[in-house]
Amino acid sequence: MTTIDIATPSLYLDGIPHEGFTRIRETEGLVWHPYGEDGFWAVTRHADVREVSRNPEVFSSAIGHTNLWDLEADALEIRRSLIDSDAPDHTRLRRLVSKVFTPKATRGWEGTVRRITTELVDGFVATGGGDWVEMLAAPLPIRVIMAILGVPDEDAGYLVELTDHLVEGTGAGSSLPDDAYGNTTPTRLLPFNSPASHALFEYAERMRQLRLAEPADDLVTGLVRADIAGDRLSAAEYRNFFQLLVFAGNETTRTAIIHGGLAFAQQPDQWDALRDDPELAGSAVDEVIRWASPILHMRRTASRDTVLAGTAIAAGDKVVMWYAAANRDPEVFDEPFRFDVTRSDNPHFAFGGGGPHFCLGAFLAKMEIQVLLEEMVGRGIRLEQRAEPVRLASNFVHGVESLQLGVMA
Amino acid sequence: MSGAVHLTVDLDRCIGIGQCEMLEPEVFRLDDEDGISRVVDGATLDRARAAEVVERCPSMAISIVEDSPSG
Repeated sequence: MTTIDIATPSLYLDGIPHEGFTRIRETEGLVWHPYGEDGFWAVTRHADVREVSRNPEVFSSAIGHTNLWDLEADALEIRRSLIDSDAPDHTRLRRLVSKVFTPKATRGWEGTVRRITTELVDGFVATGGGDWVEMLAAPLPIRVIMAILGVPDEDAGYLVELTDHLVEGTGAGSSLPDDAYGNTTPTRLLPFNSPASHALFEYAERMRQLRLAEPADDLVTGLVRADIAGDRLSAAEYRNFFQLLVFAGNETTRTAIIHGGLAFAQQPDQWDALRDDPELAGSAVDEVIRWASPILHMRRTASRDTVLAGTAIAAGDKVVMWYAAANRDPEVFDEPFRFDVTRSDNPHFAFGGGGPHFCLGAFLAKMEIQVLLEEMVGRGIRLEQRAEPVRLASNFVHGVESLQLGVMA
Repeated sequence: MSGAVHLTVDLDRCIGIGQCEMLEPEVFRLDDEDGISRVVDGATLDRARAAEVVERCPSMAISIVEDSPSG
């Protein structure tokens, strides 16, 4: 059978290869996709992604890696965080961090989100638009996560610099020498193979010490003091989680906001519908997230022989869930290639397909996008696309590096 | 109406994702102490909606109490 390529990063410079995904989705059973010297099962139907997500005992997150390539055992162990753990380790960690990341806690951060959003929207409107990525989509989530963590304003620039270096690792690769920031750890043992991870870990540890000595009203304090029956996060668990939050808390929401802005600019009727009926904000947020599908895939590894969609899977096989494809499955979504803010039944998998790894930051992401839509719509403005987006060559993040949008009255 | 039903959360399965509270804030609350979901005393949902909430729980921790009085 001819291979329908969905893994080559440069394909994504032209957007998600939806035609390829559609052909794979329409193929009976599962399609084996070559990758390096090995390959993976491409899971593209909504029902199949759901099945994999909800059976973590069979489809493990702890074996190999949750990205397409395998990590060596020592590297995997040292980096291990929520994302690449199974029960019971995952259950324990997730419960500890869930305590400080509840919907109630998230609602408490709304004022912070609105303050930051208003300031950024003011700037964007004042200049009549500009690079939507640089002026809005990138700074909004990162400033929110910094504020929530309790990172002082004067350090935010430094952490943004570090996370920018981490993001490089998902694209062209690190631009830093291995010993940058005083790093002495072999980079293959560091998240994103980046010495910036070393600097981020050091920063996280300094904050941990500060908050242990003197608690503050912030997420770092919550994390270092989170306690369930005497059980707490270890220093390494906290450090890996800090790193996960700083990355996952900004790259994903950034991507959703980018594609939301582009969709509204291209389909002003949807913007008008939202402006005419602000009650649609909730469904609009979910539609933006479905449309964007910021994380294109996650991988699981079969812990034993099993069968999925009638296809035999052997223990050790890579099983890759393509959320971007499941979010266009016509079995579930009426007219899946239509961006529709009134879509009421929208069980998208942009936060994962269910199961224990469901996105921890889902409420925060939704709140950020909702507040942004409210602040924009309330001003009676429209967005206008001025150039083609410059996309990222990544099969993992549906990234856009720049997007010129204009503001019209 | 297909009748109101009570729901229950399996405290050993719940890991505090909070999807239930987001879908039905009047019915589910994550506990401040352990971060695990609880059903608000006496709260009920229409059976169809209850089934949907059960389906949407990522931890598969919610179920309908089948002998619950309807109404």
